[in-house]
Order: sequence, then structure tokens, then C-alpha cells
Amino acid sequence: MIQMFHVTKAFGNDPPTLMDINLDIQKGEFVFLTGPSGAGKTTLLKLVFLAERATRGQVLVSGRNVARLRESGIPYLRRNIGVVFQDFKLLPNRSVAENVGFALDVIGTPRELVRQKALKILKRVGLEHKANVLPPKLSGGEQQRVVIARALVNDPAILLADEPTGNLDPALTVEIMDLLCDVNARGTTVVVATHDASLIERYHKRTLRLERGTLVSEERGAKAALLMVQG
Amino acid sequence: MIAAKASYFARTALGGMWRDPFVHVIAIASLAIALVGFGLARIAGAQIDALVSALGGEVELTVYLKDGTPAEEVKKLEAALAQRTGGVARTVSPAEALGRLSEQLGPQGQALTELGANPLPWSVEVTLPPQLRDLASLQALAQTLRALTFVEAVDYGADALERLAALSKGLKLASVVAFAIVFLTTIVVVSATLQLAIYSRREEIEIQKLVGATNRFVRAPFLLEGMVQGLLSAVLATLALWALVTWAAPRAAGMLGFLALPKGSQLMSTRLMVELLLLGLAMGLSGSVVAVRRFLRV
Ligand SMILES: Nc1ncnc2c1ncn2[C@@H]1O[C@H](COP(=O)(O)OP(=O)(O)O)[C@@H](O)[C@H]1O
Ligand SMILES: [Mg+2]
Repeated sequence: MIQMFHVTKAFGNDPPTLMDINLDIQKGEFVFLTGPSGAGKTTLLKLVFLAERATRGQVLVSGRNVARLRESGIPYLRRNIGVVFQDFKLLPNRSVAENVGFALDVIGTPRELVRQKALKILKRVGLEHKANVLPPKLSGGEQQRVVIARALVNDPAILLADEPTGNLDPALTVEIMDLLCDVNARGTTVVVATHDASLIERYHKRTLRLERGTLVSEERGAKAALLMVQG
Repeated sequence: MIAAKASYFARTALGGMWRDPFVHVIAIASLAIALVGFGLARIAGAQIDALVSALGGEVELTVYLKDGTPAEEVKKLEAALAQRTGGVARTVSPAEALGRLSEQLGPQGQALTELGANPLPWSVEVTLPPQLRDLASLQALAQTLRALTFVEAVDYGADALERLAALSKGLKLASVVAFAIVFLTTIVVVSATLQLAIYSRREEIEIQKLVGATNRFVRAPFLLEGMVQGLLSAVLATLALWALVTWAAPRAAGMLGFLALPKGSQLMSTRLMVELLLLGLAMGLSGSVVAVRRFLRV
């Protein structure tokens, strides 16, 4: 589903942020992407939905080499990838339902259907009662779920989540993770970037570890978590 | 899907204008002022054109003949003029001319009849058909006639006609130049307001792009906003012009009584309103295209 071959990403003349990355994430997999802050997790995710372009190497999404994709092809790639942004990217002056519907508006879905689908997905993340509330009135965990709802409303084949449990307390973290596992169970390929070792230990998933721009190990569960703690 | 998009664009554009009315009001006002200027120039131009053709219609071309021109030559010229111009030619004898003159002069004219010999020449008056009433045709015809042996002079009120034609030409040129300047300025104003709109919606634009909006989709509401500005300003300009001519036309007619200006409502032709509308649209759209090209980095 997502493959990278010898991918390097450098910003300007700085030393490369990502160096010679090779990876292969299968359809329907659930993968953690981990590593200390600044290791390049966010940048790696961005290469997948073309918020950034690889400096060298190939990035394949559903078998297509997106490194070569023309500008005009980017929107169509993104419609197939749901992204949970680390900084949420919710519009503060639009209701929760409108924020979620945004992903449908841009593909020309009729207004009533947008509302209907947004409410349905909000129900799935347990927020249907907040549909008409403005995001700043929500708690951090609720905002996180709105972002996940927006990422899912299009029914994408891939879900990329960047630190989705970043500033949440343990109870909320479990809630969010259960939601992501449920999404994965329904067939969506899920990649979660996190630096939370306890998460990796608790959920026994394939874990790719980045360090200073290089993939250094690939483990599961406790073993992966141990590597993280050892640094 | 197209209907859904159109409705989305309309909601986004109008919503944007609604949320941020001040800059849009300024843009619409300046567009409307430009359009009112254009409309006034058009109305004035049309009035002068009408005046020129009205005067042209009144002016007869008069050919004065030399003393001692044989009567048969006069008849020949009359016939030739009628045939050549397709108008009506009429010979005026010295006696008839003298009679007219004394009538015009009233009591003082009485003295004229007491003159021994009639000093006035034979002449032929021609009323020209509409297609020959413009200055150029008149000049050409006068030129040909002056070359004839028996012709003393040709008169067609050249002065007044020439001056009006020059005025009309000058006015047209001035309005084209003024309009070009106003057009460019207005585009700058419209694009500046849309630059602000783009800036205030930059977050929204970024998110739209991230969830898969095409560039066209992002741009469309801004182009629509420019067009709505243009339309609203055209409506505003039409109302303002209408009020202006209804107010001004009777007063102008009072001052220039002899010109018999048409009523205000007749000055605002449907054609002018359509022109204002199209022009407003064109200016709004040009402004937004400029803004989107320059400021919308998508
Ligand atoms: N747009 C950018 N321009 C320059 N440097 C960048 C840019 N984006 C990321 N970086 C650099 O790349 C490195 C990795 O960042 P990031 O991918 O956000 O790491 P992580 O998500 O693992 O914390 C950082 O050193 C950061 O400064
Ligand atoms: Mg990051």
C-alpha cells in the first residue's frame, strides 16, 4: 500500500531530514512510526500525501509512484488518504459538522449529503451531540476525534495519524487508539506516528523506528518499547 | 455534483463577503463610481451625436451663383444637384431671396425694397438626404461645386458642424482615456480587496488543499466574489445614474432650452444598462483573476 525505496528528503542545504528510507506497508496493516522528536516522523508522513516531495527515491502509494505525480494529480491522491494532523487544522469559526464535511465539500458532494455523512461519522467517534458546536469549545480529546472523523468521512484506503494521542490523558489515549484499531479492523491501512512508548507496548503492532532521519529498527510491542526507552 | 459545487461556491463567496463586508463595500463603491463616470460620458456622447445629426438635418447646402449666369444653367444645376445627391433641390431667384431677407429683417427690411437694383444672386438650395449629412460628405460636395464656372460660393454652416464634430471626437477620446485609467485603478482596488479576502481565508484554503481540493475549486469562490462585486456595482451605478439624469436633465434643459434634451428616463437606455452590467462583470472578474494569480499560492 505504501512503499518507499531509497527515499531521501532534505530541506534546502540542511543535512537531510530523511536518509535512504526503505519501507513496505501492506494493505490493511496497522503500523507505528516512532522515534524521538525531530527524527523525521512528520516529514515521512508528508511524503505520502505529498505535502512534501522526496528529494530522491521513490514513494509508491497503492502502487503509483507519487514522487512523479504532477501538481494537478495531488488532490486526487489526497482524497484517498485521511490525515490526522498533529496540529488538528480545524477551522475555529466553523461548526464541528462543517469541519468534518470539508473533505466532502471539496469533491462536490451535495450539501444535505455532506451533513448526513458528517453526522454519521461523528456518531461513530461519539460526538454527534457536538455537531453544531465550534471546535474551540471542545476539549483536546474531542477535537482529536473531530479530526479523525474528518479524516475518515471520505472512507479513505489509508489513514495517517500524526501523534494522535499527543497531549491526551491515558483514558482518552485508550479511547482514541481503540477508535483507530476499529478503523483498521474495517480494512483501512493505518499508520500512527508517536513517541509514546507505553502505546507501543500496549498495542502489539509492527513498529518502525526512526532516528535522526534513518530507519533503525523494526520490532513489535514490548521489544519495540524497550528500544525506545533505551533510546 | 456540478450543482453541489456551484452552490458551495456561492455560499463560500457570499459567506466571505458577509463576514468581511467593509472591504467589499469599498470595492463595490469604487467600481460603481467608475461605472457612473463611464455612463455619464456615454450619455453626453450620445447627446452630442444627436445634436450633430439634428443640426446636420437642418442645414441646407446653398450654392450662390455668379451674376449673369444664364437661366438654363441654373435649371441644369438644380437638376444635376437633385440627381447627384438624391435630395431635394430648389432654385431661389434674387427677388425671392430679397423678399425673405426683408421679411427676416422686419420693419428695417422695408428699406431693401426701395433699392433700385436687386443685389442678391441666383442660388440653389439643396436639402440633403440623411446619408450625406455628415461633415465629410458636405465638404466633398462643396469642394466639387466650388470648382464649377458659374458658382460664386457654397454655404452649409460648416463652422458649427465642424466645432460640434470636433467636440464629439474630443469627448470620445477623453472618455476612452479616462476610462482606461479608471478601469486599471478599479482592477487594482478589486484585486486588493480579494487579496485581503484570500489572506483572511488562508487557513481554510490550506485545509481545503490538504483534504483534496483542486486549485480550481479553491479559486472559484474568489472569482465569483469579484463577479458579484462587479454585478452589485453595476446595479448601484445604474440607480445612481438614473437618479442623476432624472435630477439633472430638466435643469440642463432649462439652461439650454433650445437643445430640447430628452427626458431623464430616455437618457438611460437599455443598451447602456447592459453595457454597465457587462463592464462591471468584466472589471470584477479581471480584478479577481489578477488577485488569484498573484496572491493565491495554491
Ligand atoms: N519545512 C521544513 N523546512 C526545514 N526543515 C524542516 C521542515 N520540516 C521539517 N524540518 C526539519 O526536519 C526535522 C524533522 O522534523 P519532523 O519530521 O517534524 O520530526 P518529528 O515529526 O519526528 O518530530 C526537524 O529537524 C525539522 O527542523
Ligand atoms: Mg512531528
